[in-house]
Amino acid sequence: MELFLMTFTTGIMVGGIYALVALGWVLIYKCSGVLNLAMGELTLIGAYVTIYFYLMGVPFILCILFTLIIGIMLGILVERIFLDKLIGEPILAVIMVTVGLSFFLKGLVGFVWGTDTRVFTPAIFSLKPFTIGFLKISTVYFWSFVLAIVLFLVFVAFFKYTRWGLSMQATADDETAALSLGVSARFVYAASWAIAFMAAGVGGALLGNINGVNITIGFLGLLVLPAVVLGGLNSIPGAIVGGLLIGVLQNLAGTYLDVYFPGGVKEIFPFAFMAVFLLFMPYGLWGWIKIERM
Amino acid sequence: MTKVWLPCGYYHENYAKDQGWWQTPVIKGKMILLLLIVFVGFPLFLDEYWIGVANMIGYTALGALGVQLLIGYAGLITLGHAAFIAVGAYTSTILILKFPWPEFLISWGLAYPISIIIAAIVAGLWSVLFGLPSARVKGFYLILTTMAAQFITVDFILTQYVSRIGGRGQAFSLPPGTIKIGPWVIDTDLKVYFLMIIVLTLTVMIMANLLRTRVGRAWVAIRDNDIAAETLGINIIWYKLLNFFVAGFIAGIAGAFWVANLAALSPEHFPWFWSLWLVGVILIGGAGIDGAIFGSIFMVMVIEILQMLAMPASEIFPKILIDFAFLKDMAFGLAICAFLIYEPRGLSYRWWQAKNYFNLWPFSY
Repeated sequence: MELFLMTFTTGIMVGGIYALVALGWVLIYKCSGVLNLAMGELTLIGAYVTIYFYLMGVPFILCILFTLIIGIMLGILVERIFLDKLIGEPILAVIMVTVGLSFFLKGLVGFVWGTDTRVFTPAIFSLKPFTIGFLKISTVYFWSFVLAIVLFLVFVAFFKYTRWGLSMQATADDETAALSLGVSARFVYAASWAIAFMAAGVGGALLGNINGVNITIGFLGLLVLPAVVLGGLNSIPGAIVGGLLIGVLQNLAGTYLDVYFPGGVKEIFPFAFMAVFLLFMPYGLWGWIKIERM
Repeated sequence: MTKVWLPCGYYHENYAKDQGWWQTPVIKGKMILLLLIVFVGFPLFLDEYWIGVANMIGYTALGALGVQLLIGYAGLITLGHAAFIAVGAYTSTILILKFPWPEFLISWGLAYPISIIIAAIVAGLWSVLFGLPSARVKGFYLILTTMAAQFITVDFILTQYVSRIGGRGQAFSLPPGTIKIGPWVIDTDLKVYFLMIIVLTLTVMIMANLLRTRVGRAWVAIRDNDIAAETLGINIIWYKLLNFFVAGFIAGIAGAFWVANLAALSPEHFPWFWSLWLVGVILIGGAGIDGAIFGSIFMVMVIEILQMLAMPASEIFPKILIDFAFLKDMAFGLAICAFLIYEPRGLSYRWWQAKNYFNLWPFSY
């Protein structure tokens, strides 16, 4: 039982980071209809930018701030250069542009920073776990979770209470109506990419704190896809629940299934789960069900 | 003047002629010349290095043909094709190395050809297994299930379990002389080239013929509008699964063929990167079978040219050669983006335009 609870809490903590990255994904899909397969590389870039500043001796909070700023710049740049021209193209074209983008970004990161694993030295969070009741919680996981949730709330507040956020919501809801009310669609697209870069970048930085920064962070970023499928592609509450669920399921699988299938169950399980889940509930928990007619 | 098209006033007299591949003497001569070049000219005049490059092109084209069948003809977007190639390669290798073949089959050199066919069937069935969700989902969701196929097959089953029975930790080693067809041991690049060109020609022939039957037309109908196809009485689930089977079959052939070119087989030969690469190849190549082949030629040649440029440049910046793999990724990513943005119809459309220009010359109106 204790083992179960510990695995469960670890899953929730990691799931918080996935939820943050999933938020970025869902946002891009809601606002501009782009199904983004480059999310893994966005987390990768965030992780490397953060650790680059951190190893130069910048305090961690400032590093996160710089990552956010660079995320905004890169997001707008990417949207303007690559995706702006593809509005209205077939789904395969748009998806494959994001795949091309992911290749480009991964190559760029590898070329600039190499393949060695980097570790945040000195460690930001103390290595000693602390206990609540009988639960031992690793400090890194806990603070990552807290930071992820805080950022999540900031983003949600941004959508709810600011003018820009409201215009993004309007575009996601009904693009034509939003355009007729004077919302600039191009601004909204750029803003959604900027926010996705920011969310994924911070997510990457937090994941890098847990395992060290190397190219496999990109694979962790891909786990966002099972999360958004689970929650439904265009639902922000779905992104939270999906992220948390994937985190929990992944850790439970790593703990309990590893006995029966030794090896990389932990990495593969979310994808296997997603494939089976799609057979039964293709639109996820809260996704819009599209009824097709001729 | 004989032309590429029938002259004005001449008509086909029956359906078979209308559907024929080589409709006029000019086309016939052109195609026979092409076959002569690839079967005789290249082996005679290309040196060892470029034959190796040609093998790479052939392997890419075989993989891309399967992807073209799925994406280009049935609209089933796949990002996990390398998994099925891997299944083909592993089935063939395990059959050759571990299966107790009767003595006469080995002495006649039939073990490898038979294993190619079995590998193709196994890969086809494996592909159908992961095609099953296509009965319920399509588009982006199908992409995710094929991605799952890649991770489950290559990163989990092959890496963790199958490659353990190879005996040498991660890789199956293929001792020289194991790959044998009839009396010929496939050991040089030239022999691999002949194997490749025969397999590729056969695959293209089978695929092109399949596409002009009822099956092929049903696939195109499903691609264009699956709901309309269903109302026309096409059993779309059956045809989608058939498409997955044939695409997996071709992938299995590609994998089993590539075994001949390798000294050892390991899961690293079939990463997710390779699945994406194949999709990129057909996007750059454009529609049709020729699209897949143009795309493979283009992508392999671009990498070769980059490598050639990197050699002299590396004397000034040695980093370029060390991190060449990353440069390759960047070039590939940029090429996909550039083609999709500026040349969405691919190379085969340009080829069609060029042909038209010369066919209509001098009165290209």
